[in-house]
Amino acid sequence: MIRVDNVSKTVRSGSEELTILKGISMEIKAGQSVAIVGASGSGKSTLLGLLAGLDSPSSGYIHLQGEDVTAMTEDERAALRARAVGFVFQSFQLLPTLTALENVMLPLELSSAKGARERALELLEQVGLSARAGHYPRQLSGGEQQRVALARAFVVEPDILFADEPTGNLDAVNGGHIEELLFAMNQQRGTTLVLVTHEPHLAELCERRFEMRDGQLAEQH
Amino acid sequence: MLQLRRLLREIRGGELLLLAVSLVLAVASVAGIAGFAERLKLAMGERSLYFLAADQVLVSPSPLPPEWLEKAENSGISVAKTVSFRTMVYGSAADPADEKMLLVALRAVSDRYPLLGTVQFSDTVYGNAQESAGGPPRGEIWLDSRAFAMLGIAPGAEVEVGEARLLASRVLVDEPDRSSSINVYGPRALMHSGDVASTGVVQPGSVVDYRYLFAGDTAQLDSFAGWLEPKMLPSHRWRTLTDNQPALAQSLDRAESYMLLAACLAVALASAAIALSAHRYGQQNIDRVALMKSLGASRRYILSFYARQGAVLLGLAVLMGGLIAEALQGLLFQSIAQLLNVEVPAGSWRPLLTGAITAGVCLLCFAAPPLWRLSRVSPMRVLRRDQEQDNAGLAMPLLLGGGAMFGLMLWFSNSVALSVAVMLSSVVLLLLAAALVLLCIRGARSLSTRMAGSRQRLAISNIYRRRYGNAFQLGSIALALMSLLSVFLLREMLLKDWQSQLAEGTPNYFLINIAESELAELDGFFSENGVAHAGIFPMVRGRLSHIDGVPMADTDIDANTAGLNREVNLSWSAELPSDNRLLAGKWWSNTAHTSTDSDRLPVSVESEVAERMGAELGTRLQFNIGGQTLDAEVTSIRGLDWQSMRPNFYFLFPANSLGRYASSYITSFYLPAEQRPLLVEVMSAHPTITLIEVDAILAQMKEVVSQLSAAISLIVLLLLVCALLVCVSNVQLSLDTRRQEYALLRTLGAGNRFLRATLFLEFAFLGGLAGLVAAVGANLCLVALQIWALDMAPRVHLWSFLFTPLASAVLVTVLAAGYGRRLLRTPAVALLRGR
Ligand SMILES: Nc1ncnc2c1ncn2[C@@H]1O[C@H](COP(=O)(O)OP(=O)(O)OP(=O)(O)O)[C@@H](O)[C@H]1O
Ligand SMILES: [Mg+2]
Repeated sequence: MIRVDNVSKTVRSGSEELTILKGISMEIKAGQSVAIVGASGSGKSTLLGLLAGLDSPSSGYIHLQGEDVTAMTEDERAALRARAVGFVFQSFQLLPTLTALENVMLPLELSSAKGARERALELLEQVGLSARAGHYPRQLSGGEQQRVALARAFVVEPDILFADEPTGNLDAVNGGHIEELLFAMNQQRGTTLVLVTHEPHLAELCERRFEMRDGQLAEQH
Repeated sequence: MLQLRRLLREIRGGELLLLAVSLVLAVASVAGIAGFAERLKLAMGERSLYFLAADQVLVSPSPLPPEWLEKAENSGISVAKTVSFRTMVYGSAADPADEKMLLVALRAVSDRYPLLGTVQFSDTVYGNAQESAGGPPRGEIWLDSRAFAMLGIAPGAEVEVGEARLLASRVLVDEPDRSSSINVYGPRALMHSGDVASTGVVQPGSVVDYRYLFAGDTAQLDSFAGWLEPKMLPSHRWRTLTDNQPALAQSLDRAESYMLLAACLAVALASAAIALSAHRYGQQNIDRVALMKSLGASRRYILSFYARQGAVLLGLAVLMGGLIAEALQGLLFQSIAQLLNVEVPAGSWRPLLTGAITAGVCLLCFAAPPLWRLSRVSPMRVLRRDQEQDNAGLAMPLLLGGGAMFGLMLWFSNSVALSVAVMLSSVVLLLLAAALVLLCIRGARSLSTRMAGSRQRLAISNIYRRRYGNAFQLGSIALALMSLLSVFLLREMLLKDWQSQLAEGTPNYFLINIAESELAELDGFFSENGVAHAGIFPMVRGRLSHIDGVPMADTDIDANTAGLNREVNLSWSAELPSDNRLLAGKWWSNTAHTSTDSDRLPVSVESEVAERMGAELGTRLQFNIGGQTLDAEVTSIRGLDWQSMRPNFYFLFPANSLGRYASSYITSFYLPAEQRPLLVEVMSAHPTITLIEVDAILAQMKEVVSQLSAAISLIVLLLLVCALLVCVSNVQLSLDTRRQEYALLRTLGAGNRFLRATLFLEFAFLGGLAGLVAAVGANLCLVALQIWALDMAPRVHLWSFLFTPLASAVLVTVLAAGYGRRLLRTPAVALLRGR
């Protein structure tokens, strides 16, 4: 499903070169749930971005569903994301000028799928927000916004779901609710889940755990 | 569908509002001003046709070949003919000893005359005017009141013209195409052209002016004129409005220049507002694009999404802008139609198209660069906010847009000088502003570290840190204010100028042909009745025959259009007339000159005529005055004010230098309506003096001027809105950049009062500085325009140097306070999270 071969990422900041990731390799099978933990600034988000094809590595290869992401253009990677990848972010990332329903419909519209409205309503129902479909993000609480984001992530039936600290901005109760939903929907659909988190108990819920340290990745057993 | 909804929400929510308003304004101001100028021209053209009594008039010293007229009639054009000459009219009296004779300017007109407008007549001498669709029938002659009075007869009497006896049936009051120039002498009379032959007055060699009047639709007339063009002789010429109404033409010219300038400035300002708001919209959309990309949107999708957004926005703007432009014009023309007594022609689609294209080009040039950058945003931003902060400046859109703006100005002002002037002064102003700001900021900073309190120090260090952004912002605010100020000051000047020329007491009568012997008596009459006159000037009539030794006929100067094909008035004066301006050369010293055959006389030439005949300082001119030649050399060039209604001369010689030629005198004076009877007294005492009334022209000019004043006031208002928009976009953009910083200060414990004070100080400082730059720029720009474009005396407005910085500081601070309120109220966390 996901194969990472010796991936490094170097960025320039000013005149200095900063190597964030140093020769990372890993393999994730379809349907697995994986947690990536590590100190702040250790490079977790950078790795997640590479896995999802948001960015390309300085060296090494990444295969997603058997396709070499590193050989793709940005637009090809975008097409792949539209087809197979879902996202949940720490800061929710809903479009403020769209209603909850429209936010959920957005990825479907991007891949011009049919029946977007019905699908989106269905997903909102699943996250328990069908009553708030017409509300704008600013009218929703943080937890509700993240539930909308979850619905949006699952609406395209992604093969892989990436989540970067999905509960990071939420209190314990709301965070717990999101966790439950996340794992429930994941299991229901057999989605591969890659999760970056600071919360040990969230990591515990995953089948496999990796720790990022100084740009290197080690699996915890 | 989702897209349209999103667009409308973004307009409503304020993110696209400024961009939308800027676009609407660009369309409205360009379409409005262009449309207004176009229709005003049409309306005035229509109006001027009444003064021609036709659509087009061809003037000739001899009859036109009949084929020409046949050709015209065959192509569906109506034709009328007038034949003018001067002749004696003999009144018939019971006692032949009482019979008087009188030299009149007689016009014989054909059946269809006039093709446009009406002839005004009266049944009694000095009676009320009535309208007639045509001239007198055969066998009749209409004389004006003065002719009746001077012949001592009443309507209904018979008169003799040459060998014909005609019935003086009515009193001629006015013909539509009665010339207002000084070429028509003496009392006037109108008769039928069929009777000319029977009078036997017109003989080969008589001085006769033939006019052929044509009316038809534009296409017919154009094709006829095209057909005629190669056949026309140098002595044939088309009459235009400018010919007989230089004063009106000058007013219209200035108004048109003014409007074009205002339109150029409006475009510049709307462009600046578009650039700023598009830039801001781009900034606001970075995160959204990153999100859409992370959800699988390709670059092409993003580009086409925002392109469609732009297209819909432009469509809405054209619609709204067009409606506003239409409404503005409706407002103006409603009254103009009444005043000018003409049907205002419907506008064409061109102005709206011009507006749409202008807005489109602006949008493309100013919004495309931010959009391009937007499409390159990395989707990694969804994971890492700080990813590649988009701080690419406004340089690219400025360059691109500046070029486009220049092209647009050139396109619809059709004036290189104007476009270059506006463009150049904008660029200079921007650079000046930037330099000044950087300097001031540096100075203020070193000062503040020593003396100011922490608040001032923070404000100044804030300004310092953002100095490049601030320099640009200040430059654009200054530009907006400068444009507004220039347009406002120019308006005041134009109005004052117009009003002073049309003030009570503007001369409404000209007296010409005054003999030297009559001067004393006339002067006595003026002082006795308290009539203010514009001075009595001598004049000699002569024809320009050679330029630099080359006969006029051999030069490539078109004597017809230069107005040099007929005799011109030459005068002399020791002093430069008070309303003349010396543009080049030197005025003669007070030593008297006398003309001898050996030396050349110095001559001062009016600037426009000098330009038309290609004369410069040192050019040699030869005049033919009643068969004698006069050699002269151009020693100075003068600017004239044709609106002053005072006697003006193309050619002026030193005092008494033309003494050996037969001369007469000319003056103009103001006489209120109730004193009109005095005229009869003077005129019967001096029958050889010619009186010319310009009341009608003055009244018409007053109408036009009041209309134009309304129009330019509206334009000032339009520019005010444009300028405000630039300021608002500016303030909003700079408040955006303060978000993070304020949040930080807040978390560090800065109180609301502290932040507010910092904000106010910062903006007040910027506003004041912008105002100062604007005042300098506006005054510079005005002086340049007055000298080069508007042909007026330059003037500096000192009050603007104090007023503008103050007003600007207040305005900008108030805007900042208004828009910054939310920023100041938002809690620190929310600010930091960027929501
Ligand atoms: N484009 C970039 N330019 C400069 N530095 C970068 C860039 N991308 C990442 N970094 C740096 O690389 C390091 C790792 O960043 P990353 O966001 O992956 O960390 P993280 O593990 O997600 O941290 P956190 O838990 O705080 O989110 C950080 O020090 C960051 O500043
Ligand atoms: Mg991170």
